[in-house]
Amino acid sequence: MCGIAAIVSYGSAAPTVDRDEIEAITERMWPRGPDAGGTWISPDSRVALGARRLAIIDLTDEGTQPMEDVDGELRIVFNGEIYNHRELRARMERLGARFHSTTDTEVLLQLYRHDGANMVELLRGMFAFAIWDTRTRRMFVARDPYGIKPLYVADDGQTFRAASTVKALLAGGRVPRGRDLAGVAGFWLMGSVPEPHTIFESIRAVEAGTSLFVDARGIHDVRRYYSIAAKLLRGAHDVAAARLVHPPTLLRELVTDSLRHHLISDVPVGAFLSSGIDSSALVALATEANGHPLRTVTLRFEEFLGREADEAPLAERFARELGSDHLTRLVTRDEFTDDLPRLFDAMDQPTIDGTNTWFVSKAAAERGLKVAISGLGGDELFGSYPSFRDLPRIVNASRLPLAAAAVSRLARSPKAGSMGRYGSTWAGAYLLKRGLFLPDDLPSLMGVREAREGLERLAMLEHIGQAIDPDPGTPFGRVAALEASLYMRNQLLRDTDWASMAHSLEVRTPLVDATLLRQIVPLLMVEKQRCKQHFAASPRHPLPAWLARRKKSGFSVPLAEWMQLRPDGTSTRMRSWARMVMERWA
Amino acid sequence: MRILHIGTDSFGGYGGIALYNRDLIAAMASHPSVDEVVVVPRIIVGPCEALPEKVTFVASAARGRLAYLNALRKTRGPFDLVLCAHVNLLPLANLIAKHPLLMLYGIEAWKPLRDPLSNRLLRDVRGVVSISDVTRERFAGWSQYAGPSLLLPNSIRAEWYGIRPRNRGLVSRYGLDGKRVLMTLGRVVAAERYKGFDEVLEVLPDLDDDIVYLVAGGGNDVPRLKQKASGLGIADRVIFTGLFPEEEKTDLYNLADVYVMPSRGEGFGFVFLEALACGVPVIASSIDGGREAVRDGLLGQLVDPTNPAEIRVAIRDALAAGPKRIAEGLEYFSYANFERRTHGIIESSS
Repeated sequence: MCGIAAIVSYGSAAPTVDRDEIEAITERMWPRGPDAGGTWISPDSRVALGARRLAIIDLTDEGTQPMEDVDGELRIVFNGEIYNHRELRARMERLGARFHSTTDTEVLLQLYRHDGANMVELLRGMFAFAIWDTRTRRMFVARDPYGIKPLYVADDGQTFRAASTVKALLAGGRVPRGRDLAGVAGFWLMGSVPEPHTIFESIRAVEAGTSLFVDARGIHDVRRYYSIAAKLLRGAHDVAAARLVHPPTLLRELVTDSLRHHLISDVPVGAFLSSGIDSSALVALATEANGHPLRTVTLRFEEFLGREADEAPLAERFARELGSDHLTRLVTRDEFTDDLPRLFDAMDQPTIDGTNTWFVSKAAAERGLKVAISGLGGDELFGSYPSFRDLPRIVNASRLPLAAAAVSRLARSPKAGSMGRYGSTWAGAYLLKRGLFLPDDLPSLMGVREAREGLERLAMLEHIGQAIDPDPGTPFGRVAALEASLYMRNQLLRDTDWASMAHSLEVRTPLVDATLLRQIVPLLMVEKQRCKQHFAASPRHPLPAWLARRKKSGFSVPLAEWMQLRPDGTSTRMRSWARMVMERWA
Repeated sequence: MRILHIGTDSFGGYGGIALYNRDLIAAMASHPSVDEVVVVPRIIVGPCEALPEKVTFVASAARGRLAYLNALRKTRGPFDLVLCAHVNLLPLANLIAKHPLLMLYGIEAWKPLRDPLSNRLLRDVRGVVSISDVTRERFAGWSQYAGPSLLLPNSIRAEWYGIRPRNRGLVSRYGLDGKRVLMTLGRVVAAERYKGFDEVLEVLPDLDDDIVYLVAGGGNDVPRLKQKASGLGIADRVIFTGLFPEEEKTDLYNLADVYVMPSRGEGFGFVFLEALACGVPVIASSIDGGREAVRDGLLGQLVDPTNPAEIRVAIRDALAAGPKRIAEGLEYFSYANFERRTHGIIESSS
């Protein structure tokens, strides 16, 4: 896990790279990699690479980045983990490759040398990297299928810049700070900025599951090599295979395989534990796979004491049963208030989420952990969000206007009036369901002209629609693709990245895994929402009923109490929090 | 010592389970302490092979359900060990012995049985013998069986196979001259779509044009696969042999440059051993019993059948490998080792 940076002065009119700039960009990412850092500038000063390193695999100096291959022809900066690096390394050694370290970073170099851009399809992991190839004077850039690891670029037509964070790119001092109205509009609509937009016009996200090249022609050969919707569609044709095996057993097998890969580390791996099924089953399976209990962390808030939202008592009880080395960490309003300036500084782009991950990562880091696994992604995978039930209802109800009132959950919200306008398509229904504000609200938030321009450029419904192109073919598949490609990617994963990295903690998400998704889709298509209970039953000692049958609750923090947010007739607490974020984020 | 083998098919049978049972029965009979192995087969489809010494084969049992029950009833005990060689026969085995040893092969044991009585009887078995670890784990997953369990993988008599020049007649029949050949051998039936034929077809368009795919076997899914190949624009690169005579099998394997079966439902995958015994590089699945047939990658490459890129790369790597050779480590599955393991099971179970 690291922070990475790259600059390519490719245009004929571009100035050579500036050492101060690459160092400033890299330095801004110090918390992402406090163990080591370095920069490299090509002899002709047209290319620069920078990296901060959080050492997790091969703790020796051999893992320092930027890293050169044994032949001195390729150089890489890499953020993330390649969980199948041992298998890939074995293959490369069979093919005659030589290595000077045991890092996954070096495996990427050898893989690129042998398989070129197609290498990305062989990787299991979370990653964003840039490889400079001195033979062809090209840079190869890629980001993982789900977008777990971030990567942002700024290209002014002469110089290409890339970094792990938006704020790092700005820290170099050469990237304009003009706001992207599409990004701003996206934030108001969804509570996070939808990629590829960022909050700045000159900076774009490299989209999840995408690779590209940069050379004297600039950016080219942008290739979307992974689509969640396509995987859901393909897997739906393989349901026969899913019917062969008892569902909890198959889930146990597939998730344990993912866990075994996610537990690969040269430092101890801990876990976030809530009182939900995902984190509990995951920790139980990880304990089995590891052969010994993990260090686990749960948050507790004074404001939740005695309420169902207090996850600590059940988490403690389950941790005792597993024999985990467990810590319940109390978070108070005072601590939140004290942390708020640092939290906003770490927040890479405006978002209404991330506070929970900020504190649980802080607690894990205080325990001396560098790596923690999280149950993030379970709701998207197993269909346990209300959206899996509500979206099909909204779409169906909107086609039958008299039935609209049946969608009671929506009817109580300020968005009820827009049901007829948006509810008849999957994209519109998703906007209604997940939207923080609706397009009609935006002029009052960002100005009439700005809202019009932002919404026009954002084209939110088309943007949402892309997440289900190709059509996964079933309501379950559509909602799964929408949630994983939008909410999870733009909010959960991005917030987890900045909030954990601020504490130099790597969060691993075994349920957000491209291999797992491909293998599990047939089962999802057969069992749908039942998969959650199958998952609860999947450990050798199935989750106890008091945990497995507990009503689902989100991983929330008492923001409303801390910030004294009050809902009124047209606003919700989260809308109030969003206004506050937009005011204070910088 | 007397052993009763209650099974589906063995001598006079066709296919993987029959072959496995023949080896098992022969290996049991060769144990010095065994005086007799009584075999009660449910199915006989062809002429019986020569019976090993000490084996009593109750052929009349295969005439029908009633005949099978009668044969079991008339079986003269006592037996020191009763082997129930198929989970579906557990209620019948229970008529003879309360605590039989149960054999597990593959998908028949991967999910709860339809018959509630069988599910209940599982609790009383003396132990299970599984062809692979994946089957053992999947069985334990739903049955919660926690008693003794032993592994007995397939055996291969490598001397029956071997590296041979391509049979010109077959090359001509299938139009393979100048082609590099990928091959999968198996029943091509809709009920067994987990074999991985589809997955190989889907990567074929991305491979060089001189690479063809030989589907060795017949069944009701052939028309669908032909249509799929046409849709992918590779109809001229996919050859379906249909059912073939057993004596052609070794020559068929020897047509292949790579044996590839990215399956999801194999309990073990004896075909991998056959291909390896012909010196053909193999590509097996990482998520079913194929993994164990290639000894976790020692004897062949492993691919995730859900990842076309892995299949593509593995095929290219295999085609680029040197001349054919018998993989080191195949002797792990030799009949001598199978016999030794079987004797160990008899000793620990009796």
